[in-house]
Amino acid sequence: MSSDDILEIIKGRRCVRRFRDGREDIPDEYIRKILEAGIWAPSAGNIQPWEFVVVRDRDKIDKIKLVSPGLFGDPSAIIVVCINLERARKGGKGGEVMAIMDVSMATQNMMLMAYSLGIGSCPIASFSKTAVKELLDIPDHIEPVLLITLGYVDAWPNPPKRRSLEEVVHYEGY
Amino acid sequence: MKGTEGITRDPHFKLLSFLITSARGCVDEPSLYGTLRLIDAAARLIDIMKEEGKATEELLNLKKTIEENIALVMYDEKAYIEFLDRLVRDLAKIIKKAS
Repeated sequence: MSSDDILEIIKGRRCVRRFRDGREDIPDEYIRKILEAGIWAPSAGNIQPWEFVVVRDRDKIDKIKLVSPGLFGDPSAIIVVCINLERARKGGKGGEVMAIMDVSMATQNMMLMAYSLGIGSCPIASFSKTAVKELLDIPDHIEPVLLITLGYVDAWPNPPKRRSLEEVVHYEGY
Repeated sequence: MKGTEGITRDPHFKLLSFLITSARGCVDEPSLYGTLRLIDAAARLIDIMKEEGKATEELLNLKKTIEENIALVMYDEKAYIEFLDRLVRDLAKIIKKAS
């Protein structure tokens, strides 16, 4: 695989908020590949603070939708990306902040893998953590941070405008 | 009193859940997201009115306008606010026309 291939995947991934009707099942091996991409993300001090709750049961997905105002469309699966607070605390005072960065990188890995498999995704922070914990029996020391919706797509959304390299990059000083 | 069986499929309950979780979510979210949740709720309400046979053609057009423009909140704040202004004007026309 060339660097152009990787850039193509990075640039092609879109936040998908409208999935194909019918909630087609995503094969087990695809879900596993997506999760595997997640656990190969870097993490501060190699703490690997992540935990992933995979939800594919339609009734449970519908219940999560009820408490997730930022979740649009009908996904085939949801990955609840969580921080294991007990592991995160091993990172010291800034451990939880670092853990958020770590699970964010894991999330990006998973979304890129999903895209490379032809699956749309969207990271969602606008959901009730309290309600999702209750619905999925998530213990106290596990904190949901993001939902990743997954599903097949009829049409990929157009890319939004990007701030240019010239605007955001500062060489050798700001 | 009715039981809770099947309540999660009830469109009114779905809207209720959306409103309550949005109320809490808005505490931590960007201020513009408050308007996003309200306008999303409006679209959901039109859906309920449609199911109950109360939605007029004008209301369905309002919903179409919301669907076509709601994502602007992510990319173009100015265009999003202009869309809200348009929506208010369209609503006012419906109110004005009503007997």
